[in-house]
Amino acid sequence: MMWQQFVSLAGSYPLALRGLGMTVVLSLISLVLGTLLGFGLGILRTGGSRLLSSVIGAWVDLIRGTPFLVQIFLIFFILPEFGIELDAFTAGVIALTNLAACFICEIVAAGIRSVPSGQVEAALASGLSRWQRMRQVVLPQAMRIVLPPLVGQYVLLIKDSSVVSAIGLTDLTRVGWLVVQRVPNGLLVFFLVGVGYFIVCYPLIMLARRLERRMGAAHGEVQL
Amino acid sequence: MTKAGMTQPGLTKTGMIDFRDVNKWFGALNVLRDITLSVEPREVVVVCGPSGSGKSTLIRCINGLETIKDGHLIVDGQRVGDPATNMTQLRTEIGFVFQSFNLYPHKTALENVTLAPIHVRKIPRAEAEQAGRELLAKVGLADKVNAYPAQLSGGQQQRVAIARCLGMRPKIMLFDEPTSALDPEMISEVLDVMVAVAEEGMTMMVVTHEMGFARKVAQRVVFMDAGAIVESGTPDEFFSHPKTDRSRAFLSKILRH
Repeated sequence: MMWQQFVSLAGSYPLALRGLGMTVVLSLISLVLGTLLGFGLGILRTGGSRLLSSVIGAWVDLIRGTPFLVQIFLIFFILPEFGIELDAFTAGVIALTNLAACFICEIVAAGIRSVPSGQVEAALASGLSRWQRMRQVVLPQAMRIVLPPLVGQYVLLIKDSSVVSAIGLTDLTRVGWLVVQRVPNGLLVFFLVGVGYFIVCYPLIMLARRLERRMGAAHGEVQL
Repeated sequence: MTKAGMTQPGLTKTGMIDFRDVNKWFGALNVLRDITLSVEPREVVVVCGPSGSGKSTLIRCINGLETIKDGHLIVDGQRVGDPATNMTQLRTEIGFVFQSFNLYPHKTALENVTLAPIHVRKIPRAEAEQAGRELLAKVGLADKVNAYPAQLSGGQQQRVAIARCLGMRPKIMLFDEPTSALDPEMISEVLDVMVAVAEEGMTMMVVTHEMGFARKVAQRVVFMDAGAIVESGTPDEFFSHPKTDRSRAFLSKILRH
């Protein structure tokens, strides 16, 4: 019995690889886009316009205060009602990118706020433009604060990507559901699914830990 | 570069820095009261007064770190606070030295000095670095070119900060209590650099209580109290023969030690 289950599981490995691939590709695209968007939003959140800042703040609160599953359903099932038809992959990327951007926005904004105002004044006094102040003075210092929680957030988002299985994307979690129908051993199957996520996330956990240690360094650029 | 201030009737004869009836409030607090003060090119003016008297606010208005509520402030022929004035451009002509140095901690001494020349003045990197090394040598830090601020003493950091301002070849240098955060034994190394800058003919406004410095290089001492200029005169007049009770009370406090 057990042996048969192993043989059957071994036969499912192409499906498992596909699922792992889907999880990695979806996460990678969403995290890259979400990081870019999140930095943009974080910079605007701390920029001059109070209106823009509160609009972004309200959106971030809304997204952080609702379940990701509900968000993804809204995008995948409700948007078509308004004539916006999306395939499951695009819907998944949009939902995860949005989620990532909102969390990263707050991390980046907190990092920017941690830079002493004297730094901005010094940059201002020497005639640097708004973008030069951000690029040359504020962001490099904010990165020391931003990087460890940012990488930690990546881990959370990769795990959150499992929710896309609910709209039919064949990611690692959905592969688990499919395989368990053939191999009736949920403990074993989902143990292996967990191992799959862990293999992707563990290097990032290590990286986050290393970055946190490096933050203690008193000077110099932050290097990965 | 517009010279808006120059074309204003009645404002044609302006100093390098010209305050006319400037007022500023923080909430209900009148931090600058009817300030009228003109600083000529190459003049060195020392501003002193008790803490909270508005002296830092006064010089922070000059490069727009603080905004004025009413009155006129004309710097290098341009009206500060006028939407037509390009403040970013004007700031490149004004060096500002902070009490707390505010060096960029993620950049070396040389990078601190060359950042604005490279990115604002668009000077080629090699040329800016050459000039930066010369400036650091001039403030006595030739051997600290590649040190990060955290590796420098307070006095060294403040000298880098002065070199950072000089790197922009400004027309005006403002100093906001440049030696107040320093240990006593480091004060003179910073003052020496400031004296050298003054002797090269820089227009300077210096908020400080260092009377030795004032006597050596200042043409004028301005005494402020409660947001107003109470007294102004040559260092000798002010320190030896203060005219008002408030300045006498202030001097007796800083001279007691």
